[in-house]
Formats: sequence, C-alpha cells, structure tokens
Amino acid sequence: MPDTTTGVVVIGGGSTGAGVLRDLSLRGIDAVLVEKGDLASGTTGRSHGLLHSGGRYCVNDLAAAIECVEEGRVLRRIAKTTIEDTGGYFVSVSEEDLAWEPRFVEGCGKAGITCERISVEEARRREPALSKHVRTVFWIPEDGHLDPFYLVMGNVESARRRGAQVRTYTEVTGFTRDGNRLTGVLTRDTMTGEETSIGCKAVINATGAWAGFVARLLEVEVKVVPVKGVMVVLSHRVAHATINRCHKPGDGDIIVPALSVAILGTTSARVPHPEVLPIEWDEVRHMIEEGALMADGVSTARAMRAYAGVRPLYDLGAEAEGREMSRNFAVIDHEERDGIAGFASIVGGKVTTYRLMAERVTDLVAHRLGVTTSCTTAEGPLNDRDDDLDQLRHRPAQLGVPKPHGDELSLQALVCECELVRPQDVAPWFADPAVRTLEDIRRRTRTGMGPCQAAICSYRLAGRLVTDRHQDGPTATRAMADLLETRWRGVRPVFWGSQLRQAQVTAGLHLELFNLDRQLMFQSQPPSHALLPPPLPREGRGGGEEAHAPEVASKR
Amino acid sequence: MKADVAVVGSGLAALVATRSLQKAGRNPVLIWPGLSSLYFVYATVDVLGYSDATSLQPVEHPGTGVAALIADHPDHPYARAGLDALGAGIALLMEWLEEAGFRWRGSLDRNLLLPTAIGTPKPSCLYPESMAAGDLGRDEPIVLCGFEGYEDFVPELAASNLSRSWGAGDQSVRAIRVSLPGFDSGKMFTSIDIARNLENDAFRREVAQQIRGKATRDGDHVRVGLPAVLGLTHDTDVYDRFQSELGHPIFEIPTLPPSVLGLRLFDRLRKHLQETGVEIIWAAPAHAAELSGGRCRRIHLKSAGREQPVEARAYILALEDAVDGAMRAGVRTIRDPFFHQTLAQSGVPTDRTDESLFKAQPFARVGYAVTDRLQPVGDDGRPLASNAFVAGGAIAGYDPAGTKSRGGLAIATGYRAAQEAMAA
Repeated sequence: MPDTTTGVVVIGGGSTGAGVLRDLSLRGIDAVLVEKGDLASGTTGRSHGLLHSGGRYCVNDLAAAIECVEEGRVLRRIAKTTIEDTGGYFVSVSEEDLAWEPRFVEGCGKAGITCERISVEEARRREPALSKHVRTVFWIPEDGHLDPFYLVMGNVESARRRGAQVRTYTEVTGFTRDGNRLTGVLTRDTMTGEETSIGCKAVINATGAWAGFVARLLEVEVKVVPVKGVMVVLSHRVAHATINRCHKPGDGDIIVPALSVAILGTTSARVPHPEVLPIEWDEVRHMIEEGALMADGVSTARAMRAYAGVRPLYDLGAEAEGREMSRNFAVIDHEERDGIAGFASIVGGKVTTYRLMAERVTDLVAHRLGVTTSCTTAEGPLNDRDDDLDQLRHRPAQLGVPKPHGDELSLQALVCECELVRPQDVAPWFADPAVRTLEDIRRRTRTGMGPCQAAICSYRLAGRLVTDRHQDGPTATRAMADLLETRWRGVRPVFWGSQLRQAQVTAGLHLELFNLDRQLMFQSQPPSHALLPPPLPREGRGGGEEAHAPEVASKR
Repeated sequence: MKADVAVVGSGLAALVATRSLQKAGRNPVLIWPGLSSLYFVYATVDVLGYSDATSLQPVEHPGTGVAALIADHPDHPYARAGLDALGAGIALLMEWLEEAGFRWRGSLDRNLLLPTAIGTPKPSCLYPESMAAGDLGRDEPIVLCGFEGYEDFVPELAASNLSRSWGAGDQSVRAIRVSLPGFDSGKMFTSIDIARNLENDAFRREVAQQIRGKATRDGDHVRVGLPAVLGLTHDTDVYDRFQSELGHPIFEIPTLPPSVLGLRLFDRLRKHLQETGVEIIWAAPAHAAELSGGRCRRIHLKSAGREQPVEARAYILALEDAVDGAMRAGVRTIRDPFFHQTLAQSGVPTDRTDESLFKAQPFARVGYAVTDRLQPVGDDGRPLASNAFVAGGAIAGYDPAGTKSRGGLAIATGYRAAQEAMAA
C-alpha cells in the first residue's frame, strides 16, 4: 500500500511542471508535484527572463517562433503580474548583422511578429543607452521580461488553491508497476532521507534536462541534450527595453532589464551533465564586451554575479548542435512508444511556451484517464481573484504570493534593503513546508539578490529560522552560511571593481564581527569538544585541562 | 597646500599615525577620503585572536602570540612594524581614548572572549568598557535581550549558539525581548535610532524597567547582553545610568551595520584630532602621487569638484584594504590609487577568491610590497619614494579576517609609519 494516493504525479518543479500541476487542477484531477530541489531551482530559475516575442527564433526555428508569439500573448493575459512589458530592440552593429536583416524581417513576417524599423536617431531618443556602434534598429513591442520565479510560484499557488500538493526536496527513486501500468512513484526526501511512496494513475515527467535520468528508472530512453548558458547580472537596469543583437544567435547578445538589475546573456556549450555548469571569468568578460557593443553602460556597470543554466534541448535525431537545435518541444507518450501505460514525458521547449507544453501533455494524460474536461489555463489569470492586475514592478500581492516590492516603501521595515523586501513579504514563507532553505526564501521574495548578495539579510533570515521556525542556533547558522556560500559562488567569476569592497565588507561582518568561521568550525566538531574560554592567566579556572583544539577547517 | 606630514586614510591606521605625529610635536594633516565601510566591521580592536586562519584555539596572550608570529614569519607586516611599535601604539591609543572621553579596557596581556551577535565567543584584545561584562571567562548567568521589531540583533539565535559553547555548570544563557516605546515594528529603524533614543532618560528608564521585570528570575548575579546601541555620543553616561537603572551588569554586543561602536570610535577620535589642532581635509579621495628624484613631491586630491595638490615632507598611505579604497581592481590587474602600480599578489578574478567565503581570501593579501621601513616598493624591489610609508591593511601578504588581527596591525603599522615619516 502506498503512503498516499493521488491522480497524477508530476515530476519536476520548473515552469513546465508547475504549469502541468495548474492545468491538472483546473481539470479537476488530483495531483502531487515532486521536485528534487526547490521550485524554479533548475532551468527555469536560471533563465535570463526574456519573454520571447519570437524574434530570436524567427529565422532558424520558425515553429518555435510562432509558439512564442502565441504564448507571449496568452501570458500577457494570464500572468500579467509576472511580466514587465518593456518591448525590445533588435540592433545591428556589424556588416554581418546588416546582411542578416532581410532574413530577420522575412522571419518576423512569417511568424506574425510585430516588427518596426525605426531610425537610429529615433531609437536613441527612446533609448539613450544604445551604443555608438548601433547602425540599424528594429522595435519589437512584444519582447519583455518574464520573472521566472513568480511564474512558477503563481502557477503552483493557483494549483494549491484547488487542492494540488507540492513536495520539494523530494527525489523520485523508482516506480511501482502492475504489469505494464505504472501504479505509483517511490520517493526519497533529499534532506532527511525519508522514503515514501505515492500511488497514482499516471506520472508526468516534466524534468527538462533531467528527463533522461527519470526515464532511465523505467529503462526507457529520452534523449535530452544539456546545453549550458551563462548569464551575468548587472547592478542596474542599463536600458529601458530588452536589447537583442540582430544576427544569428550568439554569445552575450541579449540584455534584459529585470526589476532592479539587468541580465546579460548568454552562451551555448554542451555539458556532460545538467548539474555540471562551470563559469569561467573570461567567458563572462567576453559577454560583457559583446553586450557593450549594443549598449553603453554594460562595461561600466557593476557585474554583481554570474550564473549558469542548462537548456533542455530535445534530440530529434538531427545533426544539429546547441543553438542550431530546435527550441521546439515534444510530448512523449510512453504507452505508445515503450509500452508503459500511465507515463508521459514533456521535453524541449522554453519558459515562454511552458503553458502550451503543459497543455499538450495534460491533454494526453487526461485523455488516457478518461477525463474530458478541456484545458482552461489560457483563459483565466493565475490569480483568479483579481482581474485588475498590474505589471510586475508595481503589483500588489495578487498571486496570493507575497510580493517583493512594497507599495509604500518610505520608512517601512525591510528585511532586505537591496531588493526592498519587507518582513511581511518573507514571514508567510517560513510557514510553508515546501520552503526548506534560505535560498528558497530568496527565490520567492528576491531577498539577497541585490548588490550585497545576502551579507546583511542572511543574519535576519537566520534569526527568523530560530524565532519563526524554532530551529536551533547551529542549524540556523549553517543555513545562513549556506546562503552566503551559494551567493559567493556567483560572485567569484565577476571579482573586479566594487566587488572587492563588497566582499571585504561581507567577510568583515561575518568573520570579524560575528566570528562565523569559528562558529562553523565549532559546529562541525563532535559535541564533546566545547569551545570553552581559555584558562585565565591569573585568577585561573582550575588550570589543568587545556581546551582541545583539533584543526578542522569548516567543510562544505 | 603644504604640510609637514600628510596622512591619507579613514581607519585606525591613519588615526594612530596622525595622533603619533601630533604627540611628537609635528604638524600632520589628515586626508580623510570619506565615511567608509570600515565603520561596519569595527567594534573591538583585535590584535591577534587566533594564531592562524584555521585554528580553533583562541590566542590567550596577544602580546606573546604576536611575538611568536613575528619569529615564525619575518615577512609578516607585524614583523615589519615590530612588537615595540605595537606596544607603543596601543599605549598611545589607550591614553588618547581616555583623553577623548572613551572608557576602553584591555591590554596585550590577555584576550577576552566576548559573545558576538551569533553567540560565538570571540577573542578581543582592546574593547570598550561597555562590552567588558560579556567576558565569557566569568561564570555569571547571561540574559541576552533583543528589541521587538529590531532584526539586526536576534537574541534567540545568539543564546542558542552560545549555550552550546558556553553554559557548563552554573553558567546559563537565555534570550528575552522587550519593546521600544514609540517604535512601531512596521516602520524602519536602525541601531542609530535606538542609540539616540536611549540617550533620553524617560525612554531608557522604561526600557530598563521592562528588562528588569524579565531578567530577575535569573537571579541576582545575572548580567544582561544588549545590542550595541547604548547611546551614540553620550555612551558612557547612558551605560552608567542604564546599568544602575537595571540593577545588573550590562554589556553591548556589536550588531549588523550601522555599527554604533564603529561610529563612536572613528567619529570621536577624528573630531578630537580636529579639536586639538590637527588639520583635516574632508572627504577628499587621493588619486595620484607625483614622484621625482626618488621622493614623493605631492599627492593630488579630488576635492569639491577640483583637483587639489598636497605637498608634504612625508606621506603616510593608510587606506585599509578594498574597504576604504586602497586598491582599484580591474579585470586583469589590481592597482593602487597613488602610484598606479600593479599590486603584489593580484591575479585573475577567480584566483582572487577562495571557493569558500569563510576561508582565507587571496584578494585580502593583495597590497603593497614594502621595505623594512614600510616604504612601498616597485617591481625592482626598491622604494618608490623614500618619503612615502604604508600603514594598515594595504600592506601585502596578510588577511586579518581569519586571525582576527585587523586593529592591532593598523595600530602597529600606523605607529611605525609615523616614526619613519618623522625621520624621513
């Protein structure tokens, strides 16, 4: 007997899995989403947040471009609060770019992308950041910024309101079957090691770049090619609108103004495993140089951190590599293809088309389950309670999710000064069992995403682990250190300019003022090795026993 | 302008160097680049907390510890400055602190273990009297008190950690919270706001009464640890009165920025210099030194929209690390702001850092290579200028974070640089 039962188990907590969960819940199908890390901690949360008009794909990948056009319009209706409608420029800076232009214009026409050629003078008037290298400009009103974290949380909260469940840090370790039919999944909590089973009628594999690993548990093959892309976060928006280079997609040719920062992307390199994503400082530097060709201020802005994500490209058997491969998606019906009933995979695609991907795979599974209700995810907004939604930057808490930016910022208490996150924005998440680490709080509220990279707010969040979650000091301190270390990883590849000063302040606070390095060493000792004060020189504490001091560095 | 000795810096190295010159009857000018984030990381003056970055055993006698460090590492900045400079510099500082109205305690004979805001014992050499009752060498039970709505000191976190490293026998530690009259927890306030309000008698008495009500059950001997917000400018008064109003020994614990302890220390010492006749050039970052004939002839300041040259007989470059602008980090090189020299030990970006934030950082070791007289040297190993001297963290080759030695090093090198500048 399984520990719990449900209708459908969705594996994967990225935009696709969250979209599937919402779709199922809207069709009245019971569902549980399991995710081995946190929601939006894989490809989705590591995207550059460009809401694609389709312009980037219209020459080489028309089918994907057309999907972007349609889905972009749907998202503007249903997920308005996660979108900043910036519009975008496609700019040419070289002879090769100019040669690409006719193909670009033709592609936009075929895909139905609104595209207007404007003079460089007019473009500069609207967007003074455009560099002196810019030779021609197209205005693409439907490019924008899509906040991937809020998109996932919005879908998940919408599904939760309809009774769907979410289990984070829950890894699928196997399946239960009855002959050729799947009857459930076996899971393991990646933090506690606790094993559970969930009985179900169907399983949807929405794990993107990890889809092959899940399929292998059933001894079937799903070929996904993991392709790494590196992004750089600049400390301010740099431009008003997104800027794309008008050429064959290459490195460092997208600038996305996103809330308080700008994200510069990206690169393309096949990697052996979706979790092996090294970032070299010189590739970051190269991207900044490329970005600086399009917009002033890119090379002088403070690079705050770099991060890498992995595209889940589905291998359709073609010879194509990386960017040449289609950004299209595919639904795999494993009953038809492999004779495993109750199992489907959804692979390929991109964040912009997550809803359509969810619809297609949910259609298949619903059909197999005999559910005839059709998909309604394109109809109502993620937050069903409010029709009058505003855009991302100004939204009130319409998603039923605490918002990152307050309405009246003046003199309000803040947990994170960099990103203007208030105590009431973080407090509810400490009560959510899906939230297990301080990084999870960050993904949901933007706490710690600003220039100080959690130097200040990490302490306040650790405090809340003790006061709100009743954790002990060492656990909270470890969580604080983990958050700082995760942030630090992204800082290292951009370690120049003001970053040194920032790092020295962070180290000064935590190592010199708090003595955190010794606290971590002490915590990693067996309990008997208490960090006692040394014997006093004169008064004496009994003398005799010397405090034991094994030289163990804090290990992570 | 012309000066006898020009000292550039915002921290303890610059202050000690300037004071040494003043006490020796010289006529220094202090070039203060502006409020720096150095203020965030100062509370106590740490001379040597641990013998190296990985030892868990605190150094008991900082004087002996530094002597051993000098013997083992003749190139260490402490060795260049010398143990005598450390002793003389500390004597000078302690006398100065008293004259400026501070009550500081401590000596090279002993490190005190004082609890931090995460509840970790930390070895400290010199400290304000207002922190002394936190001495973890004593057995009296501790109550850590926080304030409702103030998240920059969390007593529950500190108490939970402290109870694991300290808390044997009669020792006990507990967290309480009281509310601050008139402070609405939905509104933003900082340590400075609380510090100012605690200078008000009625406000302070009301807070003291609340604490007394909650702390008495821990017995007559209990001592109360509070965030370091006990007064901004009248701190010794606030401390005395608060302690008598409370009826228990109290002690301050450094908080998240803004650090009231750092502000008190740096602002008042700088003000005292000015009041006693030292000229200060305010908020003027230095950006170039002019060299000729083996000497530094002038340094150029960016001051109020124009460039101002300062001509002195000797120069003390006492910027401390990246925190207050001692280096300019490009992608491929790190240079200093005076000579635009590539500084020693600067590598490519990822080589500048350790994988872990909590280990010794290569970038912290970046700085000027110096002679035994603390003169900055060029690539050829010869002094860039016979009359320029470096003090503080801008000297290459050491990372104060792991050994907890920032303050002592600033004092020793600041004092020594002043002696050399007088002789130059």
